[in-house]
Amino acid sequence: MSKEWEPRIVAFFCNWCTYTAADLAGVSRLKYAPNVRVIRLMCSGRVDPQFILDALARGADGVLIGGCHPGDCHYVEGNYKALRRFRMLQRMLDQMGIERERVRLEWISAAEGEKVQRVINEMTEQVRALGPLNLPGKFEEWDKEMEALAARIAKEEAKRSEAEPAAEKKEA
Amino acid sequence: MEPEKDEEAPKIGVYVCRCGGNISDVVDVERVAKTIAEMEGVAISKVHTFMCSDPGQSMIVEDIKKESLNRVVVASCSPFLHELTFRNAVQRGGLNPYLYDHVNIREQGSWAHKSDPEGATAKAIRLIAAGVEKVKHAEPLERIRLSNHQRALVLGGGAAGMKAALELARRGIPAVIIDKNAELGGHIKEWGKLFPTDEDGQTLAARLRSEVEAEKDIEVIAPAKVTKISGFVGNYDVAFERLGEGGKPGEEAKLTVGAIIVATGFEPYRPAEGEFGYRKTPRVMTMPEFIAWAGSQPNGRLTLDGREVRRVGFLHCVGSRQIEGVHKPQPDGRVNTYCSRVCCSTVLNQAVQVRKRFPSVSVLDFHQDIRSYGRGHEDYYIEASNRGVAFFRYHGDEPPEVATDAEGLVRLRMKDYLTWGEEIEASMDVLVLAVGMTPSPIGDLIDMLKLATGHDRFLQEVHPKLRPVESSVNGVFLAGTAQAPMTLEEALCSAGAAAAKAAALLGSEYVEVDPFVARVDEAKCTGCERCVEECAYSGAIVMVEKETEGGGKVKKAEVNAGLCAGCGACVAVCPTRAIDLRGWSLKEFDSMVDGLVSAAERLAAK
Ligand SMILES: Cc1cc2nc3c(=O)[nH]c(=O)nc-3n(C[C@H](O)[C@H](O)[C@H](O)COP(=O)(O)OP(=O)(O)OC[C@H]3O[C@@H](n4cnc5c(N)ncnc54)[C@H](O)[C@@H]3O)c2cc1C
Ligand code: FES
Repeated sequence: MSKEWEPRIVAFFCNWCTYTAADLAGVSRLKYAPNVRVIRLMCSGRVDPQFILDALARGADGVLIGGCHPGDCHYVEGNYKALRRFRMLQRMLDQMGIERERVRLEWISAAEGEKVQRVINEMTEQVRALGPLNLPGKFEEWDKEMEALAARIAKEEAKRSEAEPAAEKKEA
Repeated sequence: MEPEKDEEAPKIGVYVCRCGGNISDVVDVERVAKTIAEMEGVAISKVHTFMCSDPGQSMIVEDIKKESLNRVVVASCSPFLHELTFRNAVQRGGLNPYLYDHVNIREQGSWAHKSDPEGATAKAIRLIAAGVEKVKHAEPLERIRLSNHQRALVLGGGAAGMKAALELARRGIPAVIIDKNAELGGHIKEWGKLFPTDEDGQTLAARLRSEVEAEKDIEVIAPAKVTKISGFVGNYDVAFERLGEGGKPGEEAKLTVGAIIVATGFEPYRPAEGEFGYRKTPRVMTMPEFIAWAGSQPNGRLTLDGREVRRVGFLHCVGSRQIEGVHKPQPDGRVNTYCSRVCCSTVLNQAVQVRKRFPSVSVLDFHQDIRSYGRGHEDYYIEASNRGVAFFRYHGDEPPEVATDAEGLVRLRMKDYLTWGEEIEASMDVLVLAVGMTPSPIGDLIDMLKLATGHDRFLQEVHPKLRPVESSVNGVFLAGTAQAPMTLEEALCSAGAAAAKAAALLGSEYVEVDPFVARVDEAKCTGCERCVEECAYSGAIVMVEKETEGGGKVKKAEVNAGLCAGCGACVAVCPTRAIDLRGWSLKEFDSMVDGLVSAAERLAAK
């Protein structure tokens, strides 16, 4: 990479609160880092751990989830569901050796444009400090390791069959 | 799930809007369009100064025909503003309107990254790449048609509820009003002369009531209580109970309506015991108590407890505009940070009436601000000033202290910021707490209808600007102060708007709803029922027994499109990815993520 590395953060914002707040931040001309790219969904309750892991696996350095404050979800309790799954995800991240700070869940109401600005800036700096996650790269490394392993096994197999042809022939 | 019939290769038209400079002054739109043109499946990628203008929209319509585009992406302002505009344009071009994706590069692009054109441009490219990837997987969808009961239920027969019912009936749509109280009219009956017209609240309520009675298309059921609501837009089944003497439950009955207008109003804020001396002395009273008491006194002299009243004080903002850490939280732990909007003008109105009716009584006004914002409200301020009302201004974080003195009078201490922070102390015969509004206690209705509330506990609209009287539940509308503090004028405006919205919905024999509902791939469904457990809308997903080819029975999830709200919570828990959301499918999200983090990098590397 010739250019300086920039954190790539994917955000999932619910249509009713956080996405609207991000619009408000823009309308209020609040400046924030352009590193966070928002995907709109109807409700934060839609986000399952797989979405997040997929994003990381595809090369995101961090994932931000934004929903309505507790009690304000337009689908009654979608945000509680999101929270529950988020806690589960944190444990999965721990096991995978991925820093918890790379995935963040925030309640941001439609009126909180400033919070969008603050959270996005904080998150960008946090992920910048952690450095690239580069899961695709890691996958490649793992793939290479697997290939090497497979090659070694194949070689050993070949050696073994070379050593035992006589026995096999006898059986046949 | 119907198989995708056309495996036709995508021919996507991408349009990047300059928004007259709003976007192009920051984002290098030409470069964006050129880069996106390189993407697989993109047939044309153009820039226009105003995509939402007639020429902009016609360009889409013509290109679809000329270039036989089968997908369209517009990158412009927020989808809240023009997603529908462009869906319609796509439809005029002869394509299904859902083969469209809208990308926001203004509110969440140029406006947010003004000082970083390079960053804003890079972000725009990625967001559009995500839109392009998403739209490749978009499917043609049809809006869902449901039968429609062309009748509305209005919950609450205050001024707003009656107005909404009248507006509906005048458009030929029958309305049923259910109120918990026997007499319709709500709170305005209690306020005497109303600002800004000095009309009497009782008279006004009576007028509305007689109009309602005269209207053959309005049925009034009161006093009554709703006990159960089920169903969906066009088809709400409502069970209710007529109330007998003293609110005792009586006869039960049912009705079916196509839409519901919630107009359950407000309750005046009730101060806690001891809040500004409330309940510690009968000389501290709330505004409603004061209006009732003063209204019952003959003009001339005012006496309380056998003693002549010489001085009345009004304290603004009681129960409103509270500050965390300064005011004691409400029982639910929140403080009422909102402004109740009517209290300032009510104080001025009452102050003027006191000075007119009881000239020997002097009036003190303790406020943090005076928000006499409506047409004609300021006249009350001017008149109050002319009639010698004395004004004092405190800071919100230093609320006045109230105590009783040796004579039993009320004593108020505060720092007055009209005299640059001088400590003042005033004693008075009566202190009136200008209490604000709190929502009516309608927790049961909120649960039954799955309504959303704001942080202030009032009912919340879908969008404060663009859809101000619609709740997030399809077919449920909000009227009057159930939604927020309002003056009567504002409450009636909102009631009229809610009625117009409901009438538009109920005008036809069927209702059409957005096709963004869950669907089940039966081949993948294992019948685990997790989606049913996760769903907040009872009946939206049910398990049904299906025959297998071998003659056995299996359980499969089935979606009721009318009840499904399209939140996608079920999708998140399905272990086999058998359930999905039309228009917001897993595939679409996956490809968007890909567009955001990798497709654009591949482009950049080209
Ligand atoms: C002290 C005070 C003075 C005011 N003075 C003025 C003034 O001078 N001028 C002005 O413009 N505005 C004034 N207002 C504001 C005015 O009172 C409101 O704008 C108006 O009453 C709003 O009407 P509404 O129908 O929304 O609510 P409401 O008047 O509260 O009516 C609600 C109705 O719903 C019914 N209801 C409640 N819960 C249920 C339920 N669960 N089921 C069925 N029915 C239910 C109630 O019985 C009631 O009939 C004042 C407000 C206050 C607090
Ligand atoms: S709608 Fe915002 S979190 Fe559910």
